[in-house]
Amino acid sequence: MTDIICPLCGKPNPPELEECRYCQAPLNVSGFLAPSDQEGQENPFILSPDEPDQADSQVIKSESTSALEQSIPDWLKNTEANFLEETEAKPERQAPDDISEQIDSLLSQPSTPDNVTQPAIDDDWLASLLAEAGGESSPLSSQGALLGDIEEPVNENIPQPFIEEPFKAKGVLPPTPVEKPDWLTGLEASSKIKLEGEITPSEGIDQGAGITESIESIETGSMEIPDWIGKIEPEEISSNLEEPASQIAPAELPGWLEALRPEDNVPATEPVEDLSAADIVTAGPLAGLRGVIGARPSAIRARKPPTYSIKLRVTDEQRARVEMMEALLADEQKPKPLPSQPALTSRNIFRLVIAAALILPIAWMIITGSQRVPTPQPGDVPGVIDFTQQVQALPTGLPVLLAFDYEAGFSGEMNLAVSTLITQLAIKNAFMTLVTTIPSGPAMAESLINSSVGLDGNQGSYSYYTNLGYIPGGTMGLVGLALSPKSVLPYSLDGIKVWASAPLDAISTINDFSAVIVLTNDPDTARSWIEQVGPTLKIDGTPLLIITSSQAEPLIRPYYEANPSQVQGMVTSLAGGLAYGLSVGNSQQNGEWDAFSISITASVLIILIGSISRAALKIPITGKKKES
Amino acid sequence: MKKILPTSNAIIAVISGLLVLLGYFFPGVFGNIQSVLIGWAIILAAFALLLGIYNLALVHWKKAGAGGTNGINSIVLLVSLGITIIAASLSGPTGSLSVWIFNNFQVPVEISLLAVLAVVLVYAAARLLTRRPKWSTILFLVTVLIVLLGSVPLFFLGEVAPLVALRGWVTQVPAVAGGRGLLLGVALGTVATGIRILMGVDRPYGG
Repeated sequence: MTDIICPLCGKPNPPELEECRYCQAPLNVSGFLAPSDQEGQENPFILSPDEPDQADSQVIKSESTSALEQSIPDWLKNTEANFLEETEAKPERQAPDDISEQIDSLLSQPSTPDNVTQPAIDDDWLASLLAEAGGESSPLSSQGALLGDIEEPVNENIPQPFIEEPFKAKGVLPPTPVEKPDWLTGLEASSKIKLEGEITPSEGIDQGAGITESIESIETGSMEIPDWIGKIEPEEISSNLEEPASQIAPAELPGWLEALRPEDNVPATEPVEDLSAADIVTAGPLAGLRGVIGARPSAIRARKPPTYSIKLRVTDEQRARVEMMEALLADEQKPKPLPSQPALTSRNIFRLVIAAALILPIAWMIITGSQRVPTPQPGDVPGVIDFTQQVQALPTGLPVLLAFDYEAGFSGEMNLAVSTLITQLAIKNAFMTLVTTIPSGPAMAESLINSSVGLDGNQGSYSYYTNLGYIPGGTMGLVGLALSPKSVLPYSLDGIKVWASAPLDAISTINDFSAVIVLTNDPDTARSWIEQVGPTLKIDGTPLLIITSSQAEPLIRPYYEANPSQVQGMVTSLAGGLAYGLSVGNSQQNGEWDAFSISITASVLIILIGSISRAALKIPITGKKKES
Repeated sequence: MKKILPTSNAIIAVISGLLVLLGYFFPGVFGNIQSVLIGWAIILAAFALLLGIYNLALVHWKKAGAGGTNGINSIVLLVSLGITIIAASLSGPTGSLSVWIFNNFQVPVEISLLAVLAVVLVYAAARLLTRRPKWSTILFLVTVLIVLLGSVPLFFLGEVAPLVALRGWVTQVPAVAGGRGLLLGVALGTVATGIRILMGVDRPYGG
């Protein structure tokens, strides 16, 4: 297995890792393979001793199939072929382990001791090959051999090339030289030549020394050099290289450019910081570097936050004010009892006086049955005569539709006229069909029918009627009732299907009734009947009669007085009821008309007296205010 | 679904309104459809009455549970509702029990409320000039007095013919004019609302 050497920390890492396990530096960029213990098994250039044939076949196969091989020149292919032939011919002379050691020594910068002269290329074939390639292989190879004799101080700060320098001599005896094959020696020499021929940065920096060394080595060697090189003195070369800029003549700047030139000598760059005493990064991708700015500054290092007291610092005066404020807020939430008022105030006494002035006369008139006030005549109340005539004109025994649409509170005003009507209908033996648009209407209708006097003079004896009850939807259902009463109210409140038996079996629409009489105290309800049902009734000339209260009379009266009239007769309020009673021969009033009259008179007097007295009291007060 | 429902509701409302409206102009063609649609509306209105009763009972049930003076009143209402429902269920809506409850509770209560209203109105009219008198206040008082004096023959004076005639003029000309004006305004507003609903611009049913 081949490990990857971290370029930063120099530690081996498994090849599957992309980052160094020690310093997290990326390995695939600058990392390189390092020999391991089992290197010989993995290296394709090293043959396994156990499988030589297979290794050979792999090498041959790879040579025949590799794309790189096509780019190899013929001379290198011949070289490899000769090497393989020699290897096959002399397997016993050089074991694979030896070869691997030698290659390892090349790859891992073997430490060759100083003062060791490299052996010259002794292979004729490689020398000729190199001569063909470079033309100067023999001199350079001999030069390389001669360079090993030269002691030269090495600048440690300058990075050296990957090839070990062969001319380090420190007086240490070299170990026993490893016997290298001829081809390897030649390759080594050529690689040295090539590397020395390249211009590395270090060479660029220490160019003068290198050239000097080369010249010295050339002079001391037996190689042939051109004449022009030999004429150059080393001191001259070194002086030219050391002071190249001093011999350049300064440029002549124009005056205006000289004026722009800054007078102060500002250094071009900042002084280089001395990082020798800085710490070395021990972890992370920058491990091994010196003087690196820390990624986690000390300013944001986690530390325990300071603790602050939550106790409010207030003075005693502030605390007292807070307590006062809390007390005020607490008092605001408590309900405060209203100031007690005396039961008998002037206002309450005035109310009681008004109530007594209204109630006592009414009660007196009802109790005594007074009939002092003249009863209104039918001709004095509009609509009563027409109403009476329409009722009198009803045929006997035919159904009449009665709509009880007034509230129980208006029964005192309405009941007199309604009772008289029921009696008249009973006399006519009309089949009263009772409907209503208010929820309390059915009970109201039943109560009035039961309290009316029948033909035999007894109350509640009339039973020729049916109570269909509440019209679903109220006034909304009037159109449906006008068009199809059977579908809107199919059953009576007793659960009887009245439309299947006489006399309602002849009814299909509302105009089949002999008359429609609406009893209402609400002008809107009366208007709904007139506008929703009236057009249907007009088809056959069925009369629409209305008994209403005083409050609805002004709005319904125009329908009656219109030409043609939409309401054929109307009875209004208590006065109309009395007039209608007189028209049918019922003059009994039981003191109600006198009670109504005296209550109206009392009300007028109370309003007059109260208004005058208030106004009389108001004038002096206003005058005093104006004077003040 | 949120986009479909408003559109479908508007379509249903517009078509229903147009059919009912056409039923007034062409009763022979659209009369039956108009009757069916109005019948559906009647059923919904009747069900709304039941819902109103249920809501009333529920609200007062909660108030009765809360206690206090209002709780006692709510308890009285719930007991009365229960008794009336039981009586109407046993004897029917026009049975003897139902009519007895109506005659002995509902009629006196409603008449008493109107009687109290009469007393309060007279008291308020008498104190009307306590405040700073204005021309409108004085006009209101004079109108009230004219209508009252012209309604019935006075107890000691009898019928005053000029007051009766004046009362008739006030009730039939200014009062009806004002009332008719209000009704015309309401009618125009109703027509405008109906047109907006028919055009789908106004959607009181939601959407």
